[in-house]
Amino acid sequence: MLNFLFRKLLMIVPTFLGVTIITFALVHMIPGDPVAIMAGERGLSPERHAQMMAQLGLDRPLWQQYLDFLWRLMHGDLGQSLVTHNAILSEFMSRFPATLELSVCALIFAIGLGIPLGVIAGIKRGSIIDHGVMGTALTGYSMPIFWWGLLLIILFSGILGWTPVSGRLSSSFWIDTPTHFMLIDTLLSDAPGAFMDAVRHLILPAVCLGTIPLAVIARMTRSSILEVLGEDYIRTARAKGLAPWRIIAVHALRNAMIPVTTVIGLQIGLLFAGAILTETIFSWPGIGKWLIDSVSRRDYPALQGGILLIATMVMIVNLVVDLLYGLINPRIRHQAE
Amino acid sequence: MTSTITTSTAGTDPLRSSRALLDIRRLSVSFQTRNGIFPAVSDIDMTLNEGEVLGVVGESGSGKSVTMLAMMGLLPFNATIEAERFAFADHDMLTLPDRARRRLTGNDIAMIFQEPATSLNPSFTIGYQIDETLKVHEGGRRRQRRERAVELLDRVGIPAPRKRLGDYPHQLSGGMNQRVMIAIAIACNPRLLIADEPTTALDVTIQAQILELLLQLQQERGMAMILITHDMGVVAEAAERISVMYAGQLVETGRAGEVFHRPRHPYTGALLDALPERHPGQARLPTIPGVVPGIGDRPTGCLFNPRCRFAREDCRQQRPELLTMGEADDPRATTGHADQHQARCFHPLETDVSADRDTGARS
Repeated sequence: MLNFLFRKLLMIVPTFLGVTIITFALVHMIPGDPVAIMAGERGLSPERHAQMMAQLGLDRPLWQQYLDFLWRLMHGDLGQSLVTHNAILSEFMSRFPATLELSVCALIFAIGLGIPLGVIAGIKRGSIIDHGVMGTALTGYSMPIFWWGLLLIILFSGILGWTPVSGRLSSSFWIDTPTHFMLIDTLLSDAPGAFMDAVRHLILPAVCLGTIPLAVIARMTRSSILEVLGEDYIRTARAKGLAPWRIIAVHALRNAMIPVTTVIGLQIGLLFAGAILTETIFSWPGIGKWLIDSVSRRDYPALQGGILLIATMVMIVNLVVDLLYGLINPRIRHQAE
Repeated sequence: MTSTITTSTAGTDPLRSSRALLDIRRLSVSFQTRNGIFPAVSDIDMTLNEGEVLGVVGESGSGKSVTMLAMMGLLPFNATIEAERFAFADHDMLTLPDRARRRLTGNDIAMIFQEPATSLNPSFTIGYQIDETLKVHEGGRRRQRRERAVELLDRVGIPAPRKRLGDYPHQLSGGMNQRVMIAIAIACNPRLLIADEPTTALDVTIQAQILELLLQLQQERGMAMILITHDMGVVAEAAERISVMYAGQLVETGRAGEVFHRPRHPYTGALLDALPERHPGQARLPTIPGVVPGIGDRPTGCLFNPRCRFAREDCRQQRPELLTMGEADDPRATTGHADQHQARCFHPLETDVSADRDTGARS
């Protein structure tokens, strides 16, 4: 197991380096530069512009800037925002809980609904339920996030008026945020109704972000269950005289979860990407919105640092999924030993 | 193997042993397929007393497994079962509700399968998989069940059974996995054990051990056993009675010795003739030309006639019924339906096979 972990950790090093190169290159490919953006419509004289660029160290060749970035990175320094002059790490950390809260809730929604729906569709293969679930899943999967988010807002916030349009908490509440997770903070605060308010703010973005993973998980669960139900050990379970629910919930589901876990792991990476769009639509003050703002301000260090941190997060999640995979599937576990 | 007859009913209720444990009359199973209804099994009769061993023989596709799965209630939902009588231990299996049936399966009727490697769930320890049967059917304390599981593993010949409880199926060999399957099957002391080609997927050396184990358990527990196989040699060693199936029909049934010595149906004769033991030193073995007819190509007349060396005109026209073969000198012929030698043939073989076949089959 340790050997397995070590090999996985070793794999992270080249991946990490690759990510730094790609983010650095991509960020600098965006047309325009931070100085011109900051100057706005009036513009600056070319001399002043060059002076400012030199001041920020942006006049050096790109490879020098990259090596400088890498050197500081190895010392744990992600740099400062060109705009706010705050450390990137603290900017990131102050916003990350919002994104994490949204992503986790979206994932809970996707898993909590996707697996049961997939199982039911698989068991009732070919029935109306199956066709209904799979048709809806395909629709959900095909829906672009920004479009789906707008539809949700129009229906639930606009027409029905059930949920607020944007933000994490109504401005009438003023609470301390020790954990930066709004659901937890509102629970800790004594403000009556704050928790429900936070929940109402969270529901739409979480549903919007969770829809695609939900569809993927439901479809994967269905096909996985179908495959597993044809296995010999299911026949053995029936020959033992076990109740149908036990055969499904114990014997089939445990094995069907192996491929589903992999898919969920892959979805987590996509979830962060989806979060950027979702946060923009719902004005959710998380990493996604921060990154979009940084793009428009050409805040190079913020972009590089932010993307790098997200990439690291995705790598860690994948590592955890790999380990979990071994936990679910004893054959993998023993192979690794 | 006549010794099994005398010892097999020991330990069971004498009143009960007089009545058949399993009584099947005219059982038919058909499958609803895209191309219409496919009759997989038609008009099978089968009776089995407590503690008796029945061998069911036939090629792949002859309907052996379907019959057994019907008995266990394990057929897929597109299967239809019809029967004049389908009784196990006085339960009418045709009308028994699912819940009551599940109390029988795994408990009073148990089954082991052909592929031990895939028949156990790869995600659970063998200890869990044995315990599950005990828990569902007998309950009791976890600690007691654990001791039972150790005893069972020990009984089926697994070394260091206590350590093996935490092992997963992939950590054991095929033969060991089949022993685990047997342990699960006998966990609740079943009255009937169905073994569906239990040795086919195993190494030749292991095959004999597993068969030996099954027969030992059958005798010491007085279980009835149905041994499905396409290996005539295995049946010769184990069974008291034999049923030969072909294309979903029973073509010959009778006491093992009789069927072996005087096969009446040409198919049985051909199966026996294909045993390597009967042709020592011969490079090529006799074979039965052709294959078992499938969905669309069942012939008119006798189902075996296209492959039969002795087929005549009437065989191609009419379908023969199962007929009792005259055995006036045999006292068993009058004792009951089950012991009669029957064959589904207009022109049963007359040749009496000499004793060398019998010894050959046992070697």
